Amino acid sequence: MAEYKKPLPAISTLNQPYWDGLKRRELTLQHCNECGKIWYPPAPFCPVCWSRNFAWQKLSGRGKVNSWVVFHQAYFSSFRDNIPYNVAEVELEEGPRLLTNLVAVDNDDIMIDMPVEIVFDDVTDEVTLAKFRPARKP
Amino acid sequence: MAAWNLKDKTAVCGVGHSPYGRRLNRSTIDLAGEAIRHALDDAGLGRDDLDGLIVSFGTPIGADADTLAYALGLKLKMYNQTWAHGRFTASCLQWAAMAVNAGLANAVACLTAISFSGFRRPMMGGAGDSEGAWEAGGGHGEDPVFGMTSPGAGAALVAQKYFARFGATSRQLAAVPVAFRKHASLNPTAIMREPITVDDHQNSRFVCEPLHLLDYCLINDGAACVIVTSSERARDLQKPPVYLSGMQGLPGGREEFIWTYPGFGTSQQDAFDYQPGLQPVYQMANVTPKDINALFTYDAFSILAWTALERFGFCGQGEAAAFTQEGRIEVGGALPMNTNGGLLSEGHMMGWNHQVEIVRQLRGECGPRQVANAQLIQWANAYGDSLIYRR
Repeated sequence: MAEYKKPLPAISTLNQPYWDGLKRRELTLQHCNECGKIWYPPAPFCPVCWSRNFAWQKLSGRGKVNSWVVFHQAYFSSFRDNIPYNVAEVELEEGPRLLTNLVAVDNDDIMIDMPVEIVFDDVTDEVTLAKFRPARKP
Repeated sequence: MAAWNLKDKTAVCGVGHSPYGRRLNRSTIDLAGEAIRHALDDAGLGRDDLDGLIVSFGTPIGADADTLAYALGLKLKMYNQTWAHGRFTASCLQWAAMAVNAGLANAVACLTAISFSGFRRPMMGGAGDSEGAWEAGGGHGEDPVFGMTSPGAGAALVAQKYFARFGATSRQLAAVPVAFRKHASLNPTAIMREPITVDDHQNSRFVCEPLHLLDYCLINDGAACVIVTSSERARDLQKPPVYLSGMQGLPGGREEFIWTYPGFGTSQQDAFDYQPGLQPVYQMANVTPKDINALFTYDAFSILAWTALERFGFCGQGEAAAFTQEGRIEVGGALPMNTNGGLLSEGHMMGWNHQVEIVRQLRGECGPRQVANAQLIQWANAYGDSLIYRR
């Protein structure tokens, strides 16, 4: 695999299961067994009811574009060749919102509320990123 | 125990600042020293009268409070500093008011001193974006893994959603930087004084689309200082007191995303129709938004003027785009905003330049940009904190 020069995530004891899930091609987040909340970012207990009784749950990987931006300035030299590149905030079917890049779509065709689905991008041997593309018609 | 009623208990008795500039090539200690001396002179106080210090946007980028205390030979009974983020202007003034009211200090200098030109700008995006790399991302919405970096990117996310949700346009948003530049053209302290037009805004390059370069504040050097003391003492000093009549703190939690109000539905906020009600700051000051003669806000990005107006009930949700047109927010309009030129055009002093201007407006010292008969001026921000100042 060619050397990956873009920033990599800070993996901690708390969010390790999220990154492990992506590596095996599953989008997982914590689910509260008491109140049913599914949340992001990872936390030591449910941010709604403060229960510690939670489990990592596999999600559908589907959602919609809540908002998006297009970078015209190269803040990171490793993103310079991608300018202009998009960053989207995707609202998952299950509620939480993730920042991501939309792939397989022209920036001019991105719209708020556009349905999207997950694409797993293995950027290094250790890290797989959750990216999204326009949802395929069922 | 009954809560303190801080209404009108404390006042600003002096303001001062250094020159503001793109590249002053001066240290933050040097800049802070100049701002403190000017503020003490303005108040008619001496060095020995100053016994409290609160540094806003302190270490590791701005001036460090420890260092200032000994380098400048201050004699402090209490001091504190906020870390290097700009949103803590009202918090610092509130802590100063509480400290004076509690008897911990008699006169507290609140200040920022910044030399962006002499710094590698780690929080402004790019390779040094260490905050964005935090476990749960940066406070402005950063996530460098996806190239999401710099404070403006989170504001752009809010602007995009605002435009789509309320049918507003970037062209309407131009009214904000155009108005503030007009004010700056009347302010000799301002860094950017050449008037701009809506077309200039539209033709300026995108930084993080949909925000244009002219939606972004300046990055610069300088220092500004405000001295808080008891109202009783302020009345005996050389300038008329400017009272702190109302305040509300900086809210936090999952319903907050720094660039907008609860219910907006960005970051992890729930999405709902926001109704501000009469915010606590008005209840403390015993006034309503209609009584406010001028509004000042933290305009790091022009969209924040819109979300601040809606957050505090100057107009309804989605109405700020129309509200800010036709000169309404300019001097001479119904609600002048940021008459100093703001962070967008006077300079980025973390909002401390705005506090200096508010005090001068209420003293009637603002010359061609004076708001006629200003009695009540508010500092109110998209992220939810506020102060009401009274003459």
